[in-house]
Amino acid sequence: MTKRSFLVALALAIGFAVVGFESGRFWAYLVYSVAIASIGALSLNILIGYCGQITFAQGALIGVGAYGAGIAGNAGWGAASLLVGAVCSALVSLLIGLPALRLRGLYFAISTLAAQFILNYLFKILQPLTNGVSGLVVKPLMLFGRPANDEQYAVICVGLLFLSWLVLTRIIQTNVGRAFLVVRESELVARGMGVDVARAKIQAFLLSGFFAGLCGGLIAFTSRLANPEAFEIGLSVDQTAMIIVGGLGSLGGSIIGAGFVTLLPEAIERLGELLPSADLISAFREMAFGILIILFLLLEPRGIVALARRIFARRGAAARTNLPDRASYGSGAISAQNGRKA
Amino acid sequence: MKKLTIAAALACAIAAAAPARAEITVCTWGTITGPDALVNGMTYGTRDYLEYLNQTQGGIAGNKLKVLMLDGRYKLDEELKIYRRCADQEQAVVINGWSTGASKALRDQIQEDGIPFISESFASEVLDPQKYPYTFIAGPTYEQQIIIALRDLAARGGKKVVLMYSDNEYGRGPVNVVRQSGVIEKLGLEVADLVEYRYDAQDVTAQMLRIKGKNPDLVYVQGSTPQLLVALRDAAKVGLPAKLFMGNLYNISPAIPEQLGAAADGFRAVQTYAFYGDDIPAMKEIEDYAKKNEVEKKDIYFIKGWLKGKVIAAAIGNAIKKNGGQVPADLKAFRKSVRDEMEALKDFDDGGITPPFTYADHQGSVQARIAEIKNGKYTPLGAWINAR
Repeated sequence: MTKRSFLVALALAIGFAVVGFESGRFWAYLVYSVAIASIGALSLNILIGYCGQITFAQGALIGVGAYGAGIAGNAGWGAASLLVGAVCSALVSLLIGLPALRLRGLYFAISTLAAQFILNYLFKILQPLTNGVSGLVVKPLMLFGRPANDEQYAVICVGLLFLSWLVLTRIIQTNVGRAFLVVRESELVARGMGVDVARAKIQAFLLSGFFAGLCGGLIAFTSRLANPEAFEIGLSVDQTAMIIVGGLGSLGGSIIGAGFVTLLPEAIERLGELLPSADLISAFREMAFGILIILFLLLEPRGIVALARRIFARRGAAARTNLPDRASYGSGAISAQNGRKA
Repeated sequence: MKKLTIAAALACAIAAAAPARAEITVCTWGTITGPDALVNGMTYGTRDYLEYLNQTQGGIAGNKLKVLMLDGRYKLDEELKIYRRCADQEQAVVINGWSTGASKALRDQIQEDGIPFISESFASEVLDPQKYPYTFIAGPTYEQQIIIALRDLAARGGKKVVLMYSDNEYGRGPVNVVRQSGVIEKLGLEVADLVEYRYDAQDVTAQMLRIKGKNPDLVYVQGSTPQLLVALRDAAKVGLPAKLFMGNLYNISPAIPEQLGAAADGFRAVQTYAFYGDDIPAMKEIEDYAKKNEVEKKDIYFIKGWLKGKVIAAAIGNAIKKNGGQVPADLKAFRKSVRDEMEALKDFDDGGITPPFTYADHQGSVQARIAEIKNGKYTPLGAWINAR
């Protein structure tokens, strides 16, 4: 991470926190919804995008975090409940990840699908802990002796997103992160290079689970309800859509994808309200996800981030073409496309 | 020229003296798309009644109504977002929400904001006038609807009942409350079996075979129309007649006789509002509205929506009247006044949609009757029964 990217991220975080705090409850809600979804997408991208472990249990893991934080919060743990939720989810994620030591690819993915359904079923039947299908009503976080409001949640969530991004960016740049990347490319090669594959996978599951749990804890406190229906396979699909649209293997892409997927329905809804056929537009909203994912997979599988990089690279090249003293670059000019000497 | 100047000055003076007319925002959201969309007439009905007032009376007391109809998609996060939009951005005076989950998640927020909120849910958990004075529902709770069905069974000399319900809050919650209340035993009935099914189940043949083995006098299904379609279809497969089954208000849908044909004949459901097309004054209004507008949902749920529109309009109208014919300048005070007037509605005549009711208990009419599908059409059996 360069100093420049750190400062840009910090400025963006402060900007969004100010928007969330100053622009009324509706905008605050949008800001913290995107921030929470982004934390979830970051956690999923670590596992799928960086370590290559395909999982369908993200929704349930977020649910574990929500219930863990909700139960701790109702017991009076305050803000520390977020940490409780994150740790619970990390441990459950580790359990889900254990088969990954034996299974690979689709076989492992199916085992995570089973975990998603089992956990969701547990949310429904562990009545004393989860309040069953009725859902667990969660007390709000207390700030300065008063329940936190939407504006304060926006600041908290953006702050936690910034911290999550910072921590994960640092980790990715260490040997741990590099081990993830090698495991993703080829477990055989990783072993050949002396990477402890099992250890790398366990670390990825713990890390991913922790942040999924943090995401769940924030959902519980902001929505005031941890409900089994909210953590079904649909949430796993939404989260996967975020990292595909944003960019697999890109932390910034996770945040962009989360923003895109979270705000798209609202944008279509508002557009529909301007047109006479509002109902039709509403129905179109349902299809938008599917269409978008297909389009991204076909046209730019690496997501919005890669698309943006391509556009900027083309603009950069075009700008250079228009320079009058282009000749002066001579043979030492660097190609914007591939970074090699031209 | 002098005359003209005097006339213009006079017109300006009159205009300045005339009470300023405000636009009153009412927000209503439902499942426009997504699961449960079959019953979204409840949302259309409210919107259409308020639009009808705009078209025929210029709104309420001369103040135009801005009616926002939004799609909550039966998703908690979407509904929470819409609530904030309605309460904060749109400055709605009254909000008409949808699901039990959202109503529960928002109930403290609603009290803090002081916004009159009518939930489409019939769950008893959202109804507590003391604890949640701003939350209202519009009819008997799910539990009361089950009790009406059980009373009907007892009155007909039946003994054994099977309770069949979906594996979510909508299914399990009310059944548990009724079982724990002891009312089943008090009525001299016996629960022959409890049968749970997945909310999105596409086949319940196994459950039907199990029910057949119990030989019950009644199978009460706590489910929505899509589940009832599956249940009745599979019941017919194993030889269980539709007349053995009874559902709640959300099973009075034309889709059931239309899709199942003769196999649906004899199915009964708890009816809490008049049918679309009944000979009642409210229907005359709907027909009047339909002359210039398209009525998209012609079912009992639309009628429920029309009823809510009437309640909202009456409460807003009374609040304005109490404020000397003016819309209160302070939104918070206006919302509180509308809540108070809603609660104060007494012997409210909703144009025959239900018997006249008082809204002090925040649920309005708790009268219901049993309706049966006869020759592909729901037909009321007997008079209104008080669910209490």
